[in-house]
Amino acid sequence: MQATISTTTLTGVDAIPVEVQADVSPGLPVFGIVGLADTAVQEARDRVRAAVRAAGFDFPNARVIVNLAPAPLRKHGTGFDLPIALAILCATGQIPSAAFASVSAVGELGLDGSVRQVPGMLAHAISATRAERDLLGPAAAHAVVGAVPQLRYRAVDSISRIKAGLPETAAGAIERAPASRDPAVDLADIAGHAAAKRGLEIAAAGRHNLLLIGPPGSGKTMLARALCGILPVLSDTERLESALVHSVAGLDPRPSLDGVRPFRSPHHSCSIAGLVGGGTPPRPGEMSLAHHGVLFLDELPEFGPGALQALRQPMEEGVITLVRAQGAVRYPARVTVVAAMNPCPCGYAGDPHKQCRCAPGAVARYSARIGGPLYDRMDLTMRVDRIDPGLIIEHAPAASASEAARGRVTEALRFASARRPSAIRTQLEPSARRLLESAARATHLSGRAVTRVLRVARTIADLESSEAVRPEHVGEALSYRSWDAS
Amino acid sequence: MSAARFVLRLGEPRYPAQLAETPDPPKVLYGVGDPSALAPGLAIVGARRATPYGLRCARLFAGWAGSRGMPVISGAAIGCDREAHLAAFDAGGPTVAVLGCGPDVDYPRRSADLLGCLRSHHAVVSECPFGQQPARWAFVRRNRIIAGLARAVLVVEAGLPSGTFSTADAALDAGRDVLAVPGSVFSPESRGSNRLIRQGAFPVTDVAELAQFLGVEGTVPADAAPVQDDTLRALGADPMRPDDLARALGIDIVDTARTLGALEAAGLVARYSDGRYGLR
Repeated sequence: MQATISTTTLTGVDAIPVEVQADVSPGLPVFGIVGLADTAVQEARDRVRAAVRAAGFDFPNARVIVNLAPAPLRKHGTGFDLPIALAILCATGQIPSAAFASVSAVGELGLDGSVRQVPGMLAHAISATRAERDLLGPAAAHAVVGAVPQLRYRAVDSISRIKAGLPETAAGAIERAPASRDPAVDLADIAGHAAAKRGLEIAAAGRHNLLLIGPPGSGKTMLARALCGILPVLSDTERLESALVHSVAGLDPRPSLDGVRPFRSPHHSCSIAGLVGGGTPPRPGEMSLAHHGVLFLDELPEFGPGALQALRQPMEEGVITLVRAQGAVRYPARVTVVAAMNPCPCGYAGDPHKQCRCAPGAVARYSARIGGPLYDRMDLTMRVDRIDPGLIIEHAPAASASEAARGRVTEALRFASARRPSAIRTQLEPSARRLLESAARATHLSGRAVTRVLRVARTIADLESSEAVRPEHVGEALSYRSWDAS
Repeated sequence: MSAARFVLRLGEPRYPAQLAETPDPPKVLYGVGDPSALAPGLAIVGARRATPYGLRCARLFAGWAGSRGMPVISGAAIGCDREAHLAAFDAGGPTVAVLGCGPDVDYPRRSADLLGCLRSHHAVVSECPFGQQPARWAFVRRNRIIAGLARAVLVVEAGLPSGTFSTADAALDAGRDVLAVPGSVFSPESRGSNRLIRQGAFPVTDVAELAQFLGVEGTVPADAAPVQDDTLRALGADPMRPDDLARALGIDIVDTARTLGALEAAGLVARYSDGRYGLR
């Protein structure tokens, strides 16, 4: 007897359809799985056998062959447990095949027959709706997959429930909080640093990458955290996209679904695969986990040179493509990068109170570790210095400054998307153009640096809802240019 | 122009007389270029990690000396040294680099362009023979040659501690006057030069004073008109970060950034590598 159950398997953030075919025929009792199954799938044999018996079904004392089609595609993970068990039960006539014809099943089995969550439940759910199938999966995943519109989810906590037939579709989309926003750091919590706060606002309004340079303890990390709080609220699609990456990585997607912008701060010992994704099977990296949010790279020059260079292409394209022998995997990575570094190896170059102990050449070598191309992707560079202790003591946090800043940022983004799209140079007022030209001469700006200044000036004009880029916008943008430019 | 090598031995008539008088003159002076540039001049030294203020001072005083035809002697290091050589060169005056390696060796590497220029137009000298690679001790020793070739040593900017002090000590040993340009009391990069003044160095606050001290006659460029702008006045007293400037002037940070951008474009202020702004 034969039976087929539909399921899906992950590649990147997509789940692609796979058919689980079971053939139960007389012969020596063997249980084989074919179709490029990895170790986790091969181990399904023991889990399925035990789970089927524990749930009160019979495991056939016959020759059982399971094929995962399409056979050339590599299959990973434990999500095949449930469909394999169902296919065998259908093939042996213990449950009716017809009931499962329009169902896609995903889930890991415990030896007691319980159905457990697997990574990427959101991806499986999206794939099921696309194929217009019901998704049969673990009851525990309902809170997450409920976010997928138009999904018919049939939750099952143990395969013993299947005896009574296919479970009913659970109630539809789960209501989510409209926008739970609880930034870890509010701008009002930060004393001083007026220029850096303004820089954050510009970075948020133009999705500019930001480089903070300053001695240890000057507040770089706090500023980076505050950026999340002034970015506009995640839209519904952004929530789902962000949650999808977290789901695929096996992390809790619920904060993303609740609208919290991801903030990822990988340690500088992070590997290339950890940063941009990789491994077998491929897993999204920190950069993808920060999709639609902030990727904070503290101690930037301490990151491996390979890791830093791997960031360049995704920073430009907003997507990471990992090319493997089996094919290319794509992970989304639209992030705002906030990088922080000390001005020199000892950290105190330019500190008004503490003498720097580095040789003059060491300072240049330290910042050269980052490499020009990465510097070029940092639109804003800000020097952040330790502030006067008196300011910190006197500082009385206002109710919230991030709220107001977020309002201005949202308005600027709205204005930017509404204004007619044309080249920046046509929006540049003649006086602004003259200012930029004389500044470029006075400070020896490179061509790329001029481009960055223009980009930032455009955003500053957007913050004022100004179609034209005026001299004061260029003047302000000049003060955020990087140091390598001149 | 081909750069000619020359070797001057102590006691020879071409050996610079002012250097021969010093307590510990080099027995042999190796050089590339024109030995006639080794006339008594003004040594200008300062920090390698110079601020725009230090560079501006080096440019001002070296440029003046160059325009008077007085040789400017320095060590071809990055920072103040380099700026002094370039300013003297641009003003058309002779300028001499004294190295701690063979005079035909490009060290520091970043000054290779400058050294090439000096060898073909003026002179690069050293007590190390041709081809000798740089050694740390040689750079301390060469400071006495810088002082010995000069009538006076001008320190434009020095922090604490600073290698510039060794040149100042050498100047005192050689019986040369030490002059120093005062800096802001808040600037760590000027602590060394301010201390030299406290210890008795002659403070130089403008070109006229320097000319008078050296006994050089002639016109002196007039000082610029007094500054009217609040921002420029504040920065003139002390280089500041935008945050501090905004607080000092009681204006918005956005306006401060815009003003600074415009002043920088106009070539009136410069941004330091530590984020402070100062007069150019």
